[in-house]
Amino acid sequence: MQGKSRLLILVVAVSLLITGLVLLPGAGQALKGRVAVILDVGGRGDLSFNDMGFKGTDEAAADFGLQMDEIQSASDADYLPNTRNAAISGQYDLIIGVGFLLTDAFNTVAAEFPNQKFAIIDSVVDQPNVMSIVFAENEGSALVGALSAMVAAYYGYPKVGVVLGIEIPVLYHFEAGYRFGIDWGNKKYQQVTGTNPNIGLLWTYTGTFSDIAKGYAASQAMLAQGAGLIYNVAGPLGIGDLQAVTEAVFAQRREAGPPFMIGVDANQDYLGDGHRVLASMMKRVDRGCYKAVADVVHGTFQGEIVSLGVSNRGIAISRYQDLLDFIEFGINAGAITAADKDRIISNWLTMRQGIPYWIWDAVSDLEMKIVSGEIVVPTANTVDEMLAIRAQYPLP
Amino acid sequence: MKGLAFIARLRRLKAWLFARLIGPAARAIARLRPLWESLLAGLIGLAVGAIIMLIYHFNPIQAYFALFRGSFGTVYSLSEALANATPLILTGLTFAIGLRGGLFNIGAEGQVYIGALAAIALSLFKLPAGLHLIVTLLAGMLAGALWSLPAAILKIARGVHEVISTIMFNWIAHFLSFYLIANILVDPRRAEKTISILPTARFPVLMPRTSLSYGILVSIFFVGLVLFLLWYTTIGFEVRAMGFNPAACRYAGIKRWRTALFAFVMGGFTAGLAGAVDVMGRPPSYAIFSGLGGLVNLGFNGLGVAMIGRNHPVGIVLAAIFFGGLMAGGRLMQISPGVPLELIRVVEGAIIITLAVPELIRIFRLFRGKLLIWRRA
Amino acid sequence: MTILDHFFGILFISLHAMVPITLAATGEVLGETAGLFNIGLEGIILLSALTGALGAEAGGWVVGLLAGIGTGVAIGLLFGLISTYWKGDQLIVGVGINLLAIGFVAFQLIILGAPGFHAVPRAAQVPNINTPLGKDLSPLIFLTLALPFFAYYLLSRTQVGLKLKAVGEHPAAADVAGIRVNITRLLAATGGASLAGLGGAFISVDWIGSVTKEISAGRGFIALATVVFSGLNPLLVLLGGFIFGFFESLATWISTFPGIKAVVRWEIVPMTPYIVTLLVVAGAIGRVRFPAALGRPYIRE
Repeated sequence: MQGKSRLLILVVAVSLLITGLVLLPGAGQALKGRVAVILDVGGRGDLSFNDMGFKGTDEAAADFGLQMDEIQSASDADYLPNTRNAAISGQYDLIIGVGFLLTDAFNTVAAEFPNQKFAIIDSVVDQPNVMSIVFAENEGSALVGALSAMVAAYYGYPKVGVVLGIEIPVLYHFEAGYRFGIDWGNKKYQQVTGTNPNIGLLWTYTGTFSDIAKGYAASQAMLAQGAGLIYNVAGPLGIGDLQAVTEAVFAQRREAGPPFMIGVDANQDYLGDGHRVLASMMKRVDRGCYKAVADVVHGTFQGEIVSLGVSNRGIAISRYQDLLDFIEFGINAGAITAADKDRIISNWLTMRQGIPYWIWDAVSDLEMKIVSGEIVVPTANTVDEMLAIRAQYPLP
Repeated sequence: MKGLAFIARLRRLKAWLFARLIGPAARAIARLRPLWESLLAGLIGLAVGAIIMLIYHFNPIQAYFALFRGSFGTVYSLSEALANATPLILTGLTFAIGLRGGLFNIGAEGQVYIGALAAIALSLFKLPAGLHLIVTLLAGMLAGALWSLPAAILKIARGVHEVISTIMFNWIAHFLSFYLIANILVDPRRAEKTISILPTARFPVLMPRTSLSYGILVSIFFVGLVLFLLWYTTIGFEVRAMGFNPAACRYAGIKRWRTALFAFVMGGFTAGLAGAVDVMGRPPSYAIFSGLGGLVNLGFNGLGVAMIGRNHPVGIVLAAIFFGGLMAGGRLMQISPGVPLELIRVVEGAIIITLAVPELIRIFRLFRGKLLIWRRA
Repeated sequence: MTILDHFFGILFISLHAMVPITLAATGEVLGETAGLFNIGLEGIILLSALTGALGAEAGGWVVGLLAGIGTGVAIGLLFGLISTYWKGDQLIVGVGINLLAIGFVAFQLIILGAPGFHAVPRAAQVPNINTPLGKDLSPLIFLTLALPFFAYYLLSRTQVGLKLKAVGEHPAAADVAGIRVNITRLLAATGGASLAGLGGAFISVDWIGSVTKEISAGRGFIALATVVFSGLNPLLVLLGGFIFGFFESLATWISTFPGIKAVVRWEIVPMTPYIVTLLVVAGAIGRVRFPAALGRPYIRE
């Protein structure tokens, strides 16, 4: 009897399955074209780098009536096959690779498929059919570094902190720029007020882009040592950084910072109720992806190196308009709800107005000087270059 | 009388048939039971995946068609499946050797890292083509075994349970790798990765324009070696006996430290090789990236492979190819019907859970029972 | 900052960091005492971090924690059923649970719209409490500190503990003595898994305030190691969980010191908790004895 009842269950399950299959609709409707976005192992959900690549391509696809396919990688071993699969299918007008980990795969496949168009973020692939989009993260990090130092000094904190992920060259750009910016901010503050605040830097490589608890613990340690601002340079770990900042703020029976977090890649100002993230160092991966798609659609695509920096707003410190743009992004991510929108905006305005105007002016001043080339922000690509910059700007 | 003789002859024929043909066939089917069980579990796992896809409004038929096309449907995809299987066969062996010897050795993960790093380190030197490859392989193998030794010694000398020591050594290997990748073995022009394995030490690509390299031959060779060592040598017998009945082994005078050491070191050899073979035969980079994204989970996936392969070397080969196929097919599945890659893991998990339930295999026992009844009649 | 301030800072973090590990490990001790070895702790923590976050979002933190416990109960029941009545292999089920959870959580997060990440609103998180011991502590810390004592009492001083030990040590004898082996084991495994579920929900509903696809970050395996460390003594679980939480926090904390970089590379510091645990086990604890029937289904002869 037992066997029979089992058989019955099996039959019912199978028939249900078949019914479901028959009822399912077929493939989606035909669109004007297709783009593929290949992500590295970091994947979506960091609210920063990878999500920005997705956002930009998604917006471009919507604007130009294209279909976008997202291709994830579970392992480094997936990069080459993923890229090849996309190229073999021949159905993509453009294949975008988000992240330098895809460099070798793109180099190989771009040579195998000379008529397929590619674009890669954060890396240079020297092939005629690949657009390489690189960013001057050091410039933007210098801006938030200057801001951090001056704001910390203004609120009487002795230190600022930066929580980094795994030690990779892209993160060296951030660290180098941030160090330069803090040093510049210290000097500027002295110029204006007459006293050198000597804001020091607390920094740590957590060795992870996924264990949020490490970001949380590192931030708590930095806050306890007197950090007034924490710069998140580890994607999702920012969630932990902000949790620590929030608790530190609440412990003083306040809602608004200081201490503050500084967001990264995307605009993360909307997090922390709009008044615990002072600013974000925006790396507009979305603009890079959008440009690549737009160029393909307009027929102006070239296998060139596109450098995005402060001068062409590919790198920027977050402003009011950016807050409005990214609130929707945050609502979609479940980080905030639509009902919070107005309160967040008003909180944000109050927070920014709480900081003397001359500090914002000084940051703008630095920005102008970087654009004009009067100031060249140092950067590092190797361990030795990074060590040299640490020696030059020790920031004790 | 003639009729009786005919019947007797017929009986003899029937007896002969059973003795020579049907009997062995039935026994073979019975012997292959693990295979049927794994196949059934595979089907049930895929059904669970299909149900989840239906719940989330994906079309499972499209998805599984893409999965099949991307795993075993073409020579290209089969090559990718085999390329994924190459290290998994070896890490599967690591677990299987441990479990056969009564040890729950989950240290493969860390030993893979160390084996891969040792292989990379050998590319700091220049050697002639063939020799370089062999020396690099040996280095990976030895490094894996060396990394397994502390756990073995702690087990033998201090009785430290292997679960605790191997988990700890995995994490230590993790951070040690970070250090070596970013400092000692770093590529001076591209600091996000180590130097690449020199061409003299690389496994040539077996199928052009795929990731499949001659490294798979090493995996297959070690399957044979482990099979031989475990089933046809004294020490292998002792290891298996220790896993099967440790109390009896004590009376038989089998020394526990010998079998434990053998299981750990053999496991270290295979896991270290998995890491070495992977970096030596994985185009296009032939290197380790910071974050270890290419090596992470090779060890733990080997655990699943060993389970599906029933801890038998031959079963492990099949299970690893199956796992590798799922991984390769998943890449295509996310492109055409757009089913997220993660669903593959759900399917794998469901398969493994199903495999654990001997009850579900009753259907096959039923089938076998009928066969026996027929024979008796 | 004085040394004492640093110490209290580290202590504060480690008290939180130990919660998921200790809860899961205490539960696992109950299960293993009864003879069931569940290596699926990592999966339970991960899955219940997700369900906890969704529950908290829907109905506040109480619902969130209950959802986590419920997830633990559900997986514990599945695991327990397979390993008792269905005579399945416990190791295999555990491996399967881990894989399934990793895949499903990432998959579900994609479906939710923000792949890889889902935040729990501040209002739906467990409110921290101020106590004489310290400010802004999670109430679950006190539960975590008390639970091992309760488990110790349960195992060593009560009839229930005796039964659990009997079915773990010698199920055939227990059966003869009239103890229902399978149901006892099933309940122990389910109860144990519910604690792991609570630990998972703690991560998302209380500690970090969000769930990501890798939020468990190996804590289930550390819990497993803690169980082995303890030799199934709940009080040693508490010690093991604390040692691990403390040294992990210490490592992260001191790696932010500017001075530390001159002394030691950053990659070396995070190894500390693992090395210390190994040293403690090798030096002080050594060989531990596990129930004779651990990991094997009971088949009546």
